[in-house]
Amino acid sequence: MNIADLSNGVEPARELSDYCSIVGTATSRLGKVPGVSSLDLLVEAIRNAVDDAGLKASDIDGVICRGPDESYSHHQVVAERLGINARFSTTLTNGGASQILAIAIAVMAIRFGLAKTIVCGFGRDTWSRTHASEEARVRNETRPASQRPREFGPEYGYFGATAAHAFGATRHMHLYGTTRDDFGAIATAFREHALRNPDAQMKKPLSMEDYHAGRMIVAPFGIYDCSLRSDAAGAVIVTRTDRARDMRRPPVLIKGFGTFNNTRGWFNDDNMVVTAAKNSGAAAYAMAGLGPQDVDTAQIYDCFTYMVLTQLEDYGFCKKGEGGAFVSSGALRLGGALPCNTSGGQLSEAHAEGMLQIVEGVRQLRHLYPAERQVKDAEIALISGHGGNQVCHSTLILGKA
Amino acid sequence: MSEVRQKPVPRPAPESAPYWAAARERRLALPTCDDCSGQWFPPSRTCPHCLSGRVSFTDVSGRGKVYSFVTFHRVYHPAFEGDVPYVVALIELEEGPRLLSNIVDVAPEDVRCEMPVEVTFEDVGEAVIPKFRPR
Repeated sequence: MNIADLSNGVEPARELSDYCSIVGTATSRLGKVPGVSSLDLLVEAIRNAVDDAGLKASDIDGVICRGPDESYSHHQVVAERLGINARFSTTLTNGGASQILAIAIAVMAIRFGLAKTIVCGFGRDTWSRTHASEEARVRNETRPASQRPREFGPEYGYFGATAAHAFGATRHMHLYGTTRDDFGAIATAFREHALRNPDAQMKKPLSMEDYHAGRMIVAPFGIYDCSLRSDAAGAVIVTRTDRARDMRRPPVLIKGFGTFNNTRGWFNDDNMVVTAAKNSGAAAYAMAGLGPQDVDTAQIYDCFTYMVLTQLEDYGFCKKGEGGAFVSSGALRLGGALPCNTSGGQLSEAHAEGMLQIVEGVRQLRHLYPAERQVKDAEIALISGHGGNQVCHSTLILGKA
Repeated sequence: MSEVRQKPVPRPAPESAPYWAAARERRLALPTCDDCSGQWFPPSRTCPHCLSGRVSFTDVSGRGKVYSFVTFHRVYHPAFEGDVPYVVALIELEEGPRLLSNIVDVAPEDVRCEMPVEVTFEDVGEAVIPKFRPR
């Protein structure tokens, strides 16, 4: 594969590859955690990540986080609760693409002397929020009222992220003959992984029969095509690799990252079937000097089953249009050709907008899992983040040190 | 409670007011660039093709095809309880721009990508909203 062709004329920052590592990572309690705010869940995850790294809060001099949608300058409150002043501190608003973007910005900030050790994290209280009242449950709305569309949607009964992504699924099925069996192969594989993860929100097996029996939400998506509503947070700590060697855990190398945003819109061009993962991934591969053939495990942003399928195509794990056959081959299962979302993903572990995918990628490369959860001989992990109005994307490639 | 049972009506941004005014006259009108003749949706006051600020609304054919669609089974708003299952589609107009609407006068299971459709107008409270039906 010609890396220069993939990078779209942008010079990859090869010198940043391996410059920083992730030295600590952790989650908060996951799933249904009533009575705890999203902010406190995030602080809980950061506390655990600091401990995982064997550091003290005072060792952290940078904070990059995505805030809950209604929060202003979230990072300031996070740092206050950690009791630290921060050399570098900001809040991102790229939705589910924010968490990897935070790590990319952290590496650049550390390289150019703005900070030494940066924590990146995200927390949400979506299960508690959508179960606070009957109205909240029916609306299933995680955004504050001020951010909901006022025209070109509600008057047509068009609400929510499920429908937005279902448009892509319908179009992909039309163009390539993709089926709900293919989507079911993703849902059942990730559930099987969740059953090996004691922290996962979902505890019951899911068969293909169960998948098809699930109630329809917004066709072609049924309930098992949709990610979970969770109370969940995760955090990672980034520092220079030469400093990372002395810490409690083996460092995990940040080999590459990329971003791309199809800001012409999800409904324009072919963006709902060829996502921003294509160009984001090309940038990350170019920086890392790697390609899809080098990836041992993928942790893909699975807000909906279809989004896994189309991103796997966009990342080059199979050709565009062949995602259905690829996922139905069993490739995504632990022991398969490309073990994917090995902690259960947002479909079955818990949904923290891509943060838990990063945590899982790090853990797989530490090789500390029992054999039943470990991707054997994993050296390289690819992680994706997707969000905003379906158009923001970020990619992270991690390597075993 | 009766208020929440009413279907939402558009609450137009200033730049989309002419679109909704045309709909009240049962016309489908899109923003059109006075300089490059480009058209787009949703409405804005800057042409995304050439960044001209000279923009007018012109009537379009109202004909198009279904680019993609979804079928709502879940009720997200009580006013739509009697409508499920209903189709929300992305219509690609003959002129190029795509817009969201409902497909009416056809069973949800008979809607297909690439199906030819044409605009029809429906009164919702004080507003008139463009919808599409097979042609």
